[in-house]
Amino acid sequence: MDAMPSAAVLLASPDALRSASAASGSSPPATARPDLHALHPTLWRAHQLGRGAGRALASGFAALDAQLPGGGWPRRALTELLLAHPGIGEMRLLGPSLAATLRAGRLVMLFDPPATLSAWALAQLGLDAEQMLVIDGRSRLPGEMPARQASDSLWALEQALRSGHVGALLAWLPSRLRAERLRRLQLAAQAHDGPAFVLREMAAREHPSAAPLRLALQPAGPDRLALQLFKRHGPPLAAPLQLALPPVLSAAAQGKALARAVAAGQTPRDEPLRAAAFVDLAAG
Amino acid sequence: MLWIALHLPLLSLESFAATLPPELRRMPLALVQAQRVVTHVNAGARALGVKPGQRRNTALGLAPQLVTAAADPLRDARALQGVLHACLAFTPAVSAMPPDRVLLEVQASLRYFEGLEKLVQRLRAALAPLGHRVRHASAPTAQGAALLTLHGPASAAHCADLHVLHKALDAAPVHLLGTVRDRTREQAGALQGMGLHTLADLRRLPRAGLARRFGEALLDEIDRAYGERADPRVWAALPPAFESRLELFARADTSAQLLYGAETLLARLVAWLSAQHAFARRFTLQLQHEARRQRDDRATPAASAIEIVLAAPSRELDHLLLLLRERLDRTQLAAPVLDLFLHCDDIARAPPPNGELFASAQGEREGLTRLVERLQARLGRPRVRRLSRMQDHRPERGSESQEVDAAEFHTRPEAKCAAPVLHGGSITHPSTHPSTHPTTHPITRPVWLVEPAQPLSERRDQPLLDGAPLQLLSGPERIEAGWWDEGLTGRDYFIAQAADASLVWIYRLRLPSLDAAQGWYLHGRFA
Repeated sequence: MDAMPSAAVLLASPDALRSASAASGSSPPATARPDLHALHPTLWRAHQLGRGAGRALASGFAALDAQLPGGGWPRRALTELLLAHPGIGEMRLLGPSLAATLRAGRLVMLFDPPATLSAWALAQLGLDAEQMLVIDGRSRLPGEMPARQASDSLWALEQALRSGHVGALLAWLPSRLRAERLRRLQLAAQAHDGPAFVLREMAAREHPSAAPLRLALQPAGPDRLALQLFKRHGPPLAAPLQLALPPVLSAAAQGKALARAVAAGQTPRDEPLRAAAFVDLAAG
Repeated sequence: MLWIALHLPLLSLESFAATLPPELRRMPLALVQAQRVVTHVNAGARALGVKPGQRRNTALGLAPQLVTAAADPLRDARALQGVLHACLAFTPAVSAMPPDRVLLEVQASLRYFEGLEKLVQRLRAALAPLGHRVRHASAPTAQGAALLTLHGPASAAHCADLHVLHKALDAAPVHLLGTVRDRTREQAGALQGMGLHTLADLRRLPRAGLARRFGEALLDEIDRAYGERADPRVWAALPPAFESRLELFARADTSAQLLYGAETLLARLVAWLSAQHAFARRFTLQLQHEARRQRDDRATPAASAIEIVLAAPSRELDHLLLLLRERLDRTQLAAPVLDLFLHCDDIARAPPPNGELFASAQGEREGLTRLVERLQARLGRPRVRRLSRMQDHRPERGSESQEVDAAEFHTRPEAKCAAPVLHGGSITHPSTHPSTHPTTHPITRPVWLVEPAQPLSERRDQPLLDGAPLQLLSGPERIEAGWWDEGLTGRDYFIAQAADASLVWIYRLRLPSLDAAQGWYLHGRFA
């Protein structure tokens, strides 16, 4: 069966339809053309943006919501985020939607986070760490059978998706993952009423995936993130989408970073920095 | 008074089959007594011509693949105990009639269970997980009901009053009487020889002569069955702690093989729990290992225990079995297992939860508790964690990750995420970022901490990350804390931009330290 919940219907073009009905010649084209959108909620045309099977969860970034089918992160489906390494702004991108999930009193689960999490930093993103559950499948426990940990984490992820009681999921998947495993997860996600993000390395872009929404994340300057929506219900987005993330840097430091970027184009890159040039936040 | 008598005709065979791995259960089975005489055979063995009373060697000659074992009265008694406990959920007046019968006095329970028919239906449903074939009969006297289970129609017999019971008993053959069955063969033959075939024949004889010839006990049993003599019984009492043992027929080398035996024990546990309307909070499965072969093999323990702690007390067989299966899947047996022992004394007496028609927050919480429990059972408790903020300025001590208690784990709908403020402390400068994002608080800490901090190489006083220079954009932010414990730290933190424009958090030690290298350290990445 097809892992995607929505039926993808590709029609040649509206003109082709019109000419076909004109060839029959019985009725005017305007009334003969059926309203495709009224046929089924999951029906979409390839040159249009899908409307999403269910209510989507607003991402908190208006520019991104406009480009996502259904107007937000999809529920009951996997969303694949590809990034070169952790720490490029992925949590700030997901922060608003996760915070909304927590505010609704639902659970957020993290599977195999790639580094130690800072509870204070999560709180600054509006996420109460005590309401989140971290499944750490990578640590070795004493007296345990080896070579089971990777499959254990995937098993746990599938259980959490299947249970349907979790509000949102973030999973850092192992680098080598068979396509069937991802397909299994996508099937399990249909019971999961909320967004399910799987984070993978950039190399996975070359491989097909069952996830109906795939994004590649790249830093684009200080506190900015470039998103490439290369798979979605709708045409792939040609140009990367630039988002301003909740800032880490002060306006002054941001300006400084931009100025340096401009200067880097003209001056040699390895010019040494001087400590005296730092922006002192206490003074500023 | 209304009595239900249960007869378990295949109890010995079934209690033996429970000790076998599933592939052996379908084989022809026979139990032998004193290593010589076959006493019980199953249908598979009977089809091959094996009969009770045969010599063991004869039986093996007829069916070479026959699985034989010694009859074990103790094993049968444990199985009967499970049936007894299951019955206690329906009436407190339950009495065992060894070796294979159980009596229940149910007159007082009829109204609650909406009549005899529904009561029997529920009784059979409660007995089903124990895996025994059950015949039942109901009658106004205990002894009468017990006799009818042996004589009556195959499935069930019911005698509503004494008159009907007398008629049914009159037709019953004499060899069903317990006192007759216990007699030697000659005396039983004497009854036959006198032309006494049914109980009616016996009752027609003068009582004094009968008592002189066959003993008072025979008269006594007949009188009890007909309701002409009082029939006091000893009620079974429920032990305060559950203990049951299962000796495996073949040693189990893998944990998967244990599961079939454990299932029987868990079914008995559930019967014990439902008898007192309680729920298990924790139970222990003890595995008795095979004795050490070599004397120097000291690493192998004599027994190991698997303890299962439940977040939400439960007596659902499927749920308990699932938890045990996840644990057994993960456990590596230290040595082959011969013997299983299930123990439970930690129970909760709570009213059963109400079922719900529609999904609700309560249902979701219970579902989450179960999910966490399953994850803990399979992954191990240390793998399911929750973070909490600690009041400490040092980033490495600012978060603490703890194991989760599934019972207390609830999402709190009213919990609000308060703006974090690190109060007091040293000369930390409170940052005053002009926040362009209205919904969130200023972000000053990285989500990902690099633990332990990674020393960075330098080129001309400039820190390098992966060979490319880092651009310092913001700082310094001094964090100086820990003078009260061993971890005194004084660091100047900077936010820097890496070559790919991602932001990292790096620091320099404020004071030169003896045991740490000088220079820059990577301590976090802003995600």
